[in-house]
Amino acid sequence: MRVLLVEDYQPLARALAQGLREAGYAVDATADGRQGLALAGANGYDALVLDVMVPELDGLAILRRVRAAGSSAAVVIITARDQVADRIAGLDLGADDYLVKPFALDELLARLRAVIRRRYQATTNVLALGDLVIDSASRAVKRAGKPVPLSAREFALLEYLALRRGQIVTRTEIWEHVYDFAAEPSSNVVDVYVGYLRRKLGDGAPGTGTRRLIRTHRGLGYSLEIEGAK
Amino acid sequence: MSGVRRSLRVRMTASLVAVLILALGTLSVVVDQVVWRALVQQLDAQLADDASAVAGMAEDEGPTVDFEYESLPDFERSQRPAYFQAWLDDGQVLARSPSLQGRDLPRPAPPGAATRFFALTLPDGRPGRAAGLRQPLRIEESGPGAVRSSSRHVTVVVAQGTEKLRAALGSVRRWLALSVGLTMLAAALAVVASVSRGLRAARDVAARVAQIDASSPGPFLPTQHLPDELVPLVDKVNELLARIEASFARERRFTADVSHELRTPLAALRTMIEVALRKTRGPREYASAISEMGDVVGQMQGLCENLLALARLDAGAVPVRAQPVALRALVDECWRPFQALARERGLTFTNELDGDATVTTDREHLRIIVSNLLSNAASYTAGGGWIVVRSGASSLLQVDDSGPGIPADVLPHLFERFVRGDPARSAGVHCGIGLALARGLGDILRLALSAQNTQEGGVSFQVRAADASSPAS
Repeated sequence: MRVLLVEDYQPLARALAQGLREAGYAVDATADGRQGLALAGANGYDALVLDVMVPELDGLAILRRVRAAGSSAAVVIITARDQVADRIAGLDLGADDYLVKPFALDELLARLRAVIRRRYQATTNVLALGDLVIDSASRAVKRAGKPVPLSAREFALLEYLALRRGQIVTRTEIWEHVYDFAAEPSSNVVDVYVGYLRRKLGDGAPGTGTRRLIRTHRGLGYSLEIEGAK
Repeated sequence: MSGVRRSLRVRMTASLVAVLILALGTLSVVVDQVVWRALVQQLDAQLADDASAVAGMAEDEGPTVDFEYESLPDFERSQRPAYFQAWLDDGQVLARSPSLQGRDLPRPAPPGAATRFFALTLPDGRPGRAAGLRQPLRIEESGPGAVRSSSRHVTVVVAQGTEKLRAALGSVRRWLALSVGLTMLAAALAVVASVSRGLRAARDVAARVAQIDASSPGPFLPTQHLPDELVPLVDKVNELLARIEASFARERRFTADVSHELRTPLAALRTMIEVALRKTRGPREYASAISEMGDVVGQMQGLCENLLALARLDAGAVPVRAQPVALRALVDECWRPFQALARERGLTFTNELDGDATVTTDREHLRIIVSNLLSNAASYTAGGGWIVVRSGASSLLQVDDSGPGIPADVLPHLFERFVRGDPARSAGVHCGIGLALARGLGDILRLALSAQNTQEGGVSFQVRAADASSPAS
């Protein structure tokens, strides 16, 4: 999942970006409201984490313009202002959640999971697709009851495919949702990670008795196909 | 005991009633006297007429004096009659009214020329009034209209009861008393009513005042239906409320700003700690995280220091310990906490002060002043710009930066409390007290602080000795 973080207080921005990345998110961070708006328009972020008081364009203004542009990205406002009126203003403008500083990182992560889940019409953190179980809270994956250890990026890729199961997901979409600007752009990096993922899941390999989950659609992209599960 | 504090209503009613008693009492006495005198004069006139009529009945007929009584009903009736008696100068009784039935009226001692009036007790015991008259006897000649006066005289006393006068006076007194009483009652009621009405307005105001609490001094008290006397009081109360509200609003904004500025670094600290503890990391990573936390703590400390200094400044408890201070070293020391921020924002810092320059002042206060000027420059100078500290022609030191300049509408208020430029422009810890504090401490150290936009588009903050002539700012 890819997140845009707009926060101007650098120590906080750095720590949040690191915390989010270590939790498996692709994170773009900026301290400038105008730049934040430009980024939000240019990339299909799953979630925006907006500080209210940032230079050039404040967080609520970014929210207003992003919503006016028709974006459905989940938005979590983080602010040091704890007045009820501020919260109402933020939520009325289309924020999905509101956190008052200081907050626990775990709470921010939980709320992000919740608002992103909602965006993909999921109701819990645990996705059970046939013999594949994906828990996005504990970031654990099991196939046929056996834990599958995945790297953060592999997990992000699987989670994204699972949330859009049954649909063909293009390489560009995968790129946009799983990688941030810190990642080295490379033409076949998505294919490489899909290969890693298939290997770890024992996907369709002989002797594992499993079906192939991740299907390649030549020239289009990939899809996660589960029989009997929607 | 609140014996001294009496009800306004009671006090006004009491004084009005006292004044009315005095005024109406005097009026009543005067009216009583005037009426009595008028009645007596009227009676006297009648008595005098009667006396001269009676005297005219006596006629000098040579040796004898004839008294020709012409019947007058007043002197004959049995109930409350009038009386007369006439004497000759030798004391011989010439005539008596039938009502006297042989009794005597008092004869006035030396009969004077004018008619004399006096009070007496009538023979039947009633109080009465009499007129005494002595005049020459009439001599009737045979010729028509020729009347001469004799050398002999007749003395006549005519007396009447005064009960009619007294009855009339009594009636006047009763009406007077009745109208005085009614007037006083009406006046007292009117006072009580109008004072109550006036006080009801005061009670309404009090009720409204009671509804005002600290969180919402408004809405203010309306004055359109108030008595004129209460308007100035209520106006003053409204002014007071407006002042209180303004000061509450300032305090609230200040508290909100301070809490915002404390929450932001606190949030950073918490997140940094939680991220650091999420998994086991290498010593290098820990060291860098801890060092960054140290910077954040330094900023929070700076804010707390400013808040404390400001509180002391407000309390007027700022001691000054003067000592020689090396300026260059002080500026370097003050800059240290902002190095990280400046690096991040790509700012270049140059300290051009002479290493030997010293000033004798309070080092701690000057440090807070310089720190706040540098903090301001480090936060507001646009990324990639420069900050230079130097000494100027008239300034002890000045902090120049590459801009942007301060908006013209903010510049005159820059050193006021809670004022800051566009709040969304601040990149550091700022809640509008740093420059106010710097100026406050400057006043104590007799240092004048000023700020101006330079021609190059930057800002120059100057610190001068307060007596030095100032360049236009």
